[in-house]
Amino acid sequence: MEQTQVRRPPRALSPQRLVLFVFMFAALAYPWVFRLPFQRRLMVVVLLYAMLGQAWNILGGYTGQVSLGHAVFFGIGAYTSTLLHLKLGVTPWIGLPAAGLVAALVSQFVGYPCFRLKGHYFVIATIVLAQIVQALFTNWDWAGGALGLRLPLLPESLLNFQFFSTKLPYYYISLALLAIVLAVTYLLEGSKAGYYFRAIKEDPDAARSLGVDITSYKMLAMAISAFFTGVGGAFYAQFVLYIDPESVLAFKTSVLIMLIAVVGGIGTLWGPVLGAFILIPLSEFTRVALGGAGRALDLVVYGILITLVAVFEPRGLWALGERIKALVARR
Amino acid sequence: MTLLRIGGITKRFGGLEANKGIEFDVEQGTIIGLIGPNGAGKTTLFNCVTGFYAPDDGKVVFDELDITGWPPHRVCRAGIARTFQTVRPFAQMTVLENVMVGGLLRHRQTAASRTAAMEVLEFTGLASRQSMFAKNLTIADKKRMEVARALATGPRLLMLDEAMAGLTPKETQEAVDLILRLRARGVTILLVEHVMEVVMPISHRIVVLDYGQKIAEGPPQEIANDERVIQAYLGGRYRAPS
Repeated sequence: MEQTQVRRPPRALSPQRLVLFVFMFAALAYPWVFRLPFQRRLMVVVLLYAMLGQAWNILGGYTGQVSLGHAVFFGIGAYTSTLLHLKLGVTPWIGLPAAGLVAALVSQFVGYPCFRLKGHYFVIATIVLAQIVQALFTNWDWAGGALGLRLPLLPESLLNFQFFSTKLPYYYISLALLAIVLAVTYLLEGSKAGYYFRAIKEDPDAARSLGVDITSYKMLAMAISAFFTGVGGAFYAQFVLYIDPESVLAFKTSVLIMLIAVVGGIGTLWGPVLGAFILIPLSEFTRVALGGAGRALDLVVYGILITLVAVFEPRGLWALGERIKALVARR
Repeated sequence: MTLLRIGGITKRFGGLEANKGIEFDVEQGTIIGLIGPNGAGKTTLFNCVTGFYAPDDGKVVFDELDITGWPPHRVCRAGIARTFQTVRPFAQMTVLENVMVGGLLRHRQTAASRTAAMEVLEFTGLASRQSMFAKNLTIADKKRMEVARALATGPRLLMLDEAMAGLTPKETQEAVDLILRLRARGVTILLVEHVMEVVMPISHRIVVLDYGQKIAEGPPQEIANDERVIQAYLGGRYRAPS
């Protein structure tokens, strides 16, 4: 019979804690071991997408509301901080949380109509809304239109949130953002909202009968998810210094964010991190190995991977790891 | 004291009237059996009371509060909890977590909800199953868990939709036992069941539905000998032995 572990108060140095500390140390030390710009840049993207995957996971994994429109929040975050900077001269350090807040606000308008739909219809609605938003931004000249927006180059400094001689600050900022999202997810897991999220995913009607206001809690999950996705978008804008509808609002971004959580393991704390560590390097290396001509081949590899995950372990690679652990423990 | 007043509930689905002006009261501290053949409208009435359907006509008054058309979570907060005819466990959550979801209605903190849930699990005899995934329980235990989950919301009225269908005689006896202990705890119970033998001995009053209408109401003995009830259950050719 399957048993879950009851969460005990952590001992001074349980194996889990030890592993966590090793990983934290490795994360902090990585850019000092791998000093090439490519290596550092790659890891920034991995950390960013791990963060986005976990943000998606709060809504899609824990609460079971699969969104294929998260590019909207990512893009709105990117545009918010960029426009604030360009039009009003606001520093990106304020732009970052502002991007999250605007994305969260937009998510409430998106959520209200979409949450009246269930299952596949909800998914379709999120896709359609994302397409509409992309079309709006493509035709909105004040916000750069199809040409996009370029952030002015400023002297590199922490204050300006721009770094050229080294990617190091970007690395640590993205690591900190990921740590924050993981901490929030961890706290949510053990909270009333976390229990309600999972109940909504498992059976919304049963949840309602137990006094769960499912619409409000879905909206809450959406707001948290959108907030961090928006923050991620703002970080991306500062990292690349150029955004356009194709790079931050396209459907493929929504798909990638979702895939990271799904491949890694939905509804788990570490699944999206695992997913990002597998999918992002995979796509980089297939692009490097196969060159420009193989442009879509990384997508082919993704497709194969998703099929494998769906067939053999729909709960994602993280669950596969747990299964192996259980097997080893039984020996 | 009247805890729940069902006042002329009518519910239509297209041309079908699933409930036609159903009217009865549930007194505090009693067990009321709601019986009737398949398709009589019992579950529809349940859904109208608990907010899953909005009735087309009529009123639902709970503890002098008009709750007609309230959404399910508000009905639950008001003090009515229910179970479902087909069990709806949170499959990937443990038994304890399932019950904790119920407990969180009255407790903001998960720790407090866990304590409350443990108490309910002890009461319902599920404490030994607390860390099992709900999907791995037997049907009888799933039904028991649904009762526990509903109980954890701290209801004054518990509505059980066929809590005993599909159980073995021994399990049925255990379920009956649990219902009697619930009442002893002060919970009022409205019980849907189409097996008469189960409802008769434990109910104070029985309400009989047929084709969406209330055809009889009264103490069990009266109902057992009621001409219309026997017709509804056995067909017109049979007559009660006199």
